[in-house]
Amino acid sequence: MKGCGGGRLAAGAVLVFALLVLFVTVVPAGAQDAAKDPAYRHFPILGSRLAVWAVAQLHLNFAAFILGCPIFAVIIEIIGWRTRDAKYDWLAHEFVKLTFAAFSTTALLGAFLLFLFVGYYPKFWTYMTSIFFPTYWVYALLFFAETFIVYLWYYGWDWLSGPRKWIHVGLGVLSNLVGTAILFVANSWVTFMISPAGITESGALKGSVWAAINNFTWMPINVHRLIANIVFGGTIAAAYAAFRFLSAETDEERARYDWMGYIGNFVALSAFIVLPFAGYWLGREIYAFNQTMGITMMGGFMSWLWIIQALLIGILFLGSNYYLWLGMERIPGSERYRKFVPPMLLVLTVGFMIWATPRSMVVTLDEARAMGGTHHPALGFFGVMSAKNTVVNLMILTTFLSFVLYRRANRVSTKSWVRTGMMLQWAAIFVAAIIVVFYGVYGYFVESMVRIGFSVYQVLAVLSAIVVVMAIDIPMFRGARSTGTIRWGTIAPRSQYVLILLAVTFTWLMGLMGFARSGIRQHWHVYAVLRDTSAEAVTPALGYAANVITIVTTVFFLLVSFIFWLGGLSERGNAGAHGHAAPVISGASDPRP
Amino acid sequence: MRVPVGARVGLFALVIMGSYSYFANSIPQIESKPPEELSLEGGNVTPAQLVKAGEQIFKTKGTCEICHRVGQKGTRAPDLAGVGARAGKTKPGMSGKQYIIESLLQPGAYIVEGYPPIMPAVDKPPIALNRSELWAVTAFLESLGGTVDVTLDDIPKTAGTAAGGGAPAEVKLPGDPKAGEAVFAGKGGCIACHKAGKIGASPVGPDLSQIAKIQTPDYIMRKILDPKGMGTVAGFPPGVMPQAFGQTLASKEYMDLVAFLLTLK
Repeated sequence: MKGCGGGRLAAGAVLVFALLVLFVTVVPAGAQDAAKDPAYRHFPILGSRLAVWAVAQLHLNFAAFILGCPIFAVIIEIIGWRTRDAKYDWLAHEFVKLTFAAFSTTALLGAFLLFLFVGYYPKFWTYMTSIFFPTYWVYALLFFAETFIVYLWYYGWDWLSGPRKWIHVGLGVLSNLVGTAILFVANSWVTFMISPAGITESGALKGSVWAAINNFTWMPINVHRLIANIVFGGTIAAAYAAFRFLSAETDEERARYDWMGYIGNFVALSAFIVLPFAGYWLGREIYAFNQTMGITMMGGFMSWLWIIQALLIGILFLGSNYYLWLGMERIPGSERYRKFVPPMLLVLTVGFMIWATPRSMVVTLDEARAMGGTHHPALGFFGVMSAKNTVVNLMILTTFLSFVLYRRANRVSTKSWVRTGMMLQWAAIFVAAIIVVFYGVYGYFVESMVRIGFSVYQVLAVLSAIVVVMAIDIPMFRGARSTGTIRWGTIAPRSQYVLILLAVTFTWLMGLMGFARSGIRQHWHVYAVLRDTSAEAVTPALGYAANVITIVTTVFFLLVSFIFWLGGLSERGNAGAHGHAAPVISGASDPRP
Repeated sequence: MRVPVGARVGLFALVIMGSYSYFANSIPQIESKPPEELSLEGGNVTPAQLVKAGEQIFKTKGTCEICHRVGQKGTRAPDLAGVGARAGKTKPGMSGKQYIIESLLQPGAYIVEGYPPIMPAVDKPPIALNRSELWAVTAFLESLGGTVDVTLDDIPKTAGTAAGGGAPAEVKLPGDPKAGEAVFAGKGGCIACHKAGKIGASPVGPDLSQIAKIQTPDYIMRKILDPKGMGTVAGFPPGVMPQAFGQTLASKEYMDLVAFLLTLK
């Protein structure tokens, strides 16, 4: 086993080193050649654009997973370390094992993407290199550092245990810091293409490369991706656990993976709740950079994309809540909270319907005449941002409420001030809801620029309510009386399909948002600086994009399944590998993180 | 028979993604195509043709309709119905066409009350209208309640120079204009359709007598090699110009021809 691990370590290190050398040597050589070569070459059969699209999406999926998963893995490891609860250490190790398995594939796809750029879009790559060459070195060195840290983190799990655990945890933290730095460097290239900065009118770098890095959308996308990576990592890990749950042959195994799935979903849901806020910020920065781009994104040829996005996010909200409600059935004492499920379902469903209401309907000329235009006289009011911002904030509040109820399902507070505390919590939620609705309605009577600012107040109201409720909840339920232990493994099997639904939907949503991010540049490689003059400069319609996203997402899940299966081969028949015997969970203590 | 978990989960995932794809294929399918360059070479167009071309640019490359409507009040930008009539009265001492041109090139110079200053300069990327296109759009806006009297000379020479992304560098081509004139009149056969200063007279294609004044060298070079891909000048039949100059002309002849055309100012 150790020999096998050492071999993989050496092979992995050699692979990454080879890619690093290729990266720094191919880039300048490619740039020189590109100056002499045609602006574009044609990728056989698929075409260059589709090839780049598919590989970029796959690379991003894997990269998001290997950057997102370690963030919560190290947090879980710290919880296990401080509480001396071995099951958290096992879980953290499981998550890092999944990350580790996907590491080489991410690097390979990144290298493939680079070759596609250099080979098929040489002029574009030459231009990007003329701006960002210094950052290539930083990126390569960070990647090199990240590889060794993650390898050491994974393989040093037993070696750095006991009194040396703090070093191991430090490695986990360090790998996350370096991983985040890698993300930020790569984001500078992508965001420069959307909102170029620090260049002259002819596109040449004016001064320092920092101005090009620190463009309008860089920091919003950094934050948005960081959060989204955690959601993605959580959903993929939960889907893995769901698969293992459905395949389990013993109650013990089922309990273990039920618990793992719950933690994965908890992580995903916690990050998912704040993701729309990061999205608002990104949207505002796009408008601030260029009004035309913002309007094209929200009201131009891409307007229907947001209806699909609303549909997907609605499914994510409904699915996450449904999973929590199903999960409550395995918690003794949760019966008293079931009465809240129907009203919460109503809020989520109505919110979903409003969010998915398009501004303009697809109608025939006669229907449009009968309706008095393409906007429905009543439903048309729900198609604008005022309504959509309002309902998404209410859906976030409702989801948070679901989580709070789940959290206290088998606990009864023994504090004397419990009544006051509960009243304050309900008051915080209601005040937030009133503020959200007030600004939603008021938004109909003001100009768009003012209305955009209202979303900030709505977001702040919701975030404040979340902080207030949790600030009361934590002390209120400290030392609470238990109504029984959670019966892990007894959750309905359909709940596991919900976890898979969430993973598939979120991955598909990532593909869609990737299309949106690239599509808003339309026929520009670098917006308003470097025009796409290739035969494939057309930005395709949503149907075509959706078909590509579905195919690539399918390939991603096939690859990830294969990689996880490969990763699991070494553990097969050796449950105590790396000193991490699978813990017994069934009917165990409450594993709330 | 018990279906393996992998098959069940795989099928479930495919059904989910298939549903999303189905939905995305059921809604309006809109592509975003790169705008075509319009050239009104030589100024040989009627006001009606100019207005028609301008309306087309207003709705497509100009992306004006994202914010402006004609005959409908917008929240982002003013209704343009009647702008041709009221433009001359908006800023004292400024004629209607001057005001419209200023609005297109320096939108921040005058903001209509009640609207945010969000309009970009349309001769700069990403919209990047060239001089011909600015001329046509101005004519179209004048036609909305006013009289079309704008000429190409009313559009500043510096306008549209950054079209296409970045200001074009000054180009010094190695060709011989004298030899190029011979190609124009001889091997190239251009004279059969185009007028170029004193030579040629046929009205089949646009008058090129001032082509270097109104078009960039890049446009001229590309138009010779790919006439279809560069679009057809408004008011002229499409598909007439031969597509094979890239094969029939030697490279020196091609450069000479370009050098000759660049003397036509």
